[in-house]
Amino acid sequence: MRWFVYRWRRRSATVAAFVLAALAVGAATPATAQEYQPVDVVHTERVQAGPYELTVGFSTWPVRALQSLDFTFSPAGGIAGKAGTLTVISPQGTESLVAPLARHPRERETWGLDIYALEQEGSWTFRFELNGPEGPGTGELRDLVVLAQPGPPLALSWSISTIPLLGLVAFLAVALLRDRARRMREALP
Amino acid sequence: MEVTAPRAERETGKESPPSSARTFVPAVLVLAGTVVSLVGLSWDAQWHADVGPDTFFTLPHLFLYSGSAMSGLTSLAVVLATTSARRSGRLIDPRVGGHAVRVFGGTFTAPLGYLVSGTGAAMFLLYGLWDQWWHTLYGFDAVLESPPHIGLMLSITVTMVGSVLVFAAAKQHRWSTPGLVGSAVVLLSFNFVTVAGLQLLNGLVNAFLVGMAVLTVLVWFVLGEFTRRAGVLLAVAAGLSVSQVVLWWFSPWAARIYADMVDLPLRDYVDGVPVIPALIPMSIVAVAALAEAVMWAGRKAGLPVRVTAASAGALSATLIASFSPLQDGVVYGAPLPDSAGLFATGLVAAASGAFAALAGRRFGALLTGLAPETRRQRA
Repeated sequence: MRWFVYRWRRRSATVAAFVLAALAVGAATPATAQEYQPVDVVHTERVQAGPYELTVGFSTWPVRALQSLDFTFSPAGGIAGKAGTLTVISPQGTESLVAPLARHPRERETWGLDIYALEQEGSWTFRFELNGPEGPGTGELRDLVVLAQPGPPLALSWSISTIPLLGLVAFLAVALLRDRARRMREALP
Repeated sequence: MEVTAPRAERETGKESPPSSARTFVPAVLVLAGTVVSLVGLSWDAQWHADVGPDTFFTLPHLFLYSGSAMSGLTSLAVVLATTSARRSGRLIDPRVGGHAVRVFGGTFTAPLGYLVSGTGAAMFLLYGLWDQWWHTLYGFDAVLESPPHIGLMLSITVTMVGSVLVFAAAKQHRWSTPGLVGSAVVLLSFNFVTVAGLQLLNGLVNAFLVGMAVLTVLVWFVLGEFTRRAGVLLAVAAGLSVSQVVLWWFSPWAARIYADMVDLPLRDYVDGVPVIPALIPMSIVAVAALAEAVMWAGRKAGLPVRVTAASAGALSATLIASFSPLQDGVVYGAPLPDSAGLFATGLVAAASGAFAALAGRRFGALLTGLAPETRRQRA
């Protein structure tokens, strides 16, 4: 019995060491606010929404399908005292996003969308409905061309990503076949 | 890979000495790792919803990595210990993770449960690299259902399946059933997100809701068949509700606390709905109670178990798939789907649920083969 206790203690010490190592990884210094970079606008477009002039900024240009980027929406004179709604319209004409204009999390003096991707290539529209000291106004950024997605075809990406599921299915299939063979052997006289 | 009976048992016919602690500790560590992964996922989703900015080393990400590391390293430790035991001719206790399997031509000897949980953790590492590459190409997206994210979540799911196998193998121990229920709760809570990947297939039929319902029924009936205990479905459902309540409170709280810690503001217009727990069906306990009642009535009437199980599975899946849009209406104020869509989804869920119940029973019967002392042997 004593040998077993000793062995168990030795093993539990090994396991504890592994777990502590894992927890040490978990306790590594997390990100701080300084590590979040402000938005780097590389391209702008202008939209006239009634009495309001709006500058639409893009952190990546040209825009490609599925590639996420930061968008900024800056009305002339700042966002103070103004509010509005953004509607993102897909090439098929469906509304893929309808949301109040919110401050960009890393660029708080403007409205924006952070790490946002347009799903498909084609011609997109951003519609802005603004309200402020000069009354309501609506404007659209039309014909925003989104190029084809970069990288491998999505079918290939999904095939790679579902390997664990396929592995599980294969594992269960093998287990079922072996179990059936065992049952048949047991059923033999 | 070759499944073998433990050599010592095969040669001597002796049972290995009973040891609850030796079986319990690694099983609990694997399960704890999956719990950490679930917490990390819920926290991370909430972070993106309520705060936003993302890097590789956010605290929720570190929880996700730590969960897989904890399960993976524990599995590795057990595999190495089993390999060492086999090489030195010591007894291998099949209650520790199930019957041993030779891996890489016999270089390693791995209990099946820990082989599965460890493989999931190893795949998590590979999909982490795939995810990093994806981010360099597509940006640091916050799309939950991107291909690499689904790969990462499926890898964690494999580890969670390993946790189920590990607790099933310990069937002789009292803590096996609670451990199984806990593993099933974590697996389901986590995978209501993974099946969100099915939204890409949504049409008239809501594939996501069907997937969610089928997964629940499948897991329920695996455990029901394995334990042969009335009330197990209800226990898993109650566990899911507890998981929902805890994560409902924890996730927004942790996102806010962490945002304060790193001096980041909350987004404008935060709706306050916890992303991951809101996916868990709030009707789950009622549906499970109904399924248990159907099973009880079937037994009482002497109906074939297959028929009763298929009926309970169909009913449960239909209810889960039908109530979830109502839940979204209450929680998010989302509009209800049209009646044709609701009907088609319910119909497909019923057929799939019946099949899932029968498949679950079959897999549950398979699990009994993993435990050294099966119901068949005891009878």
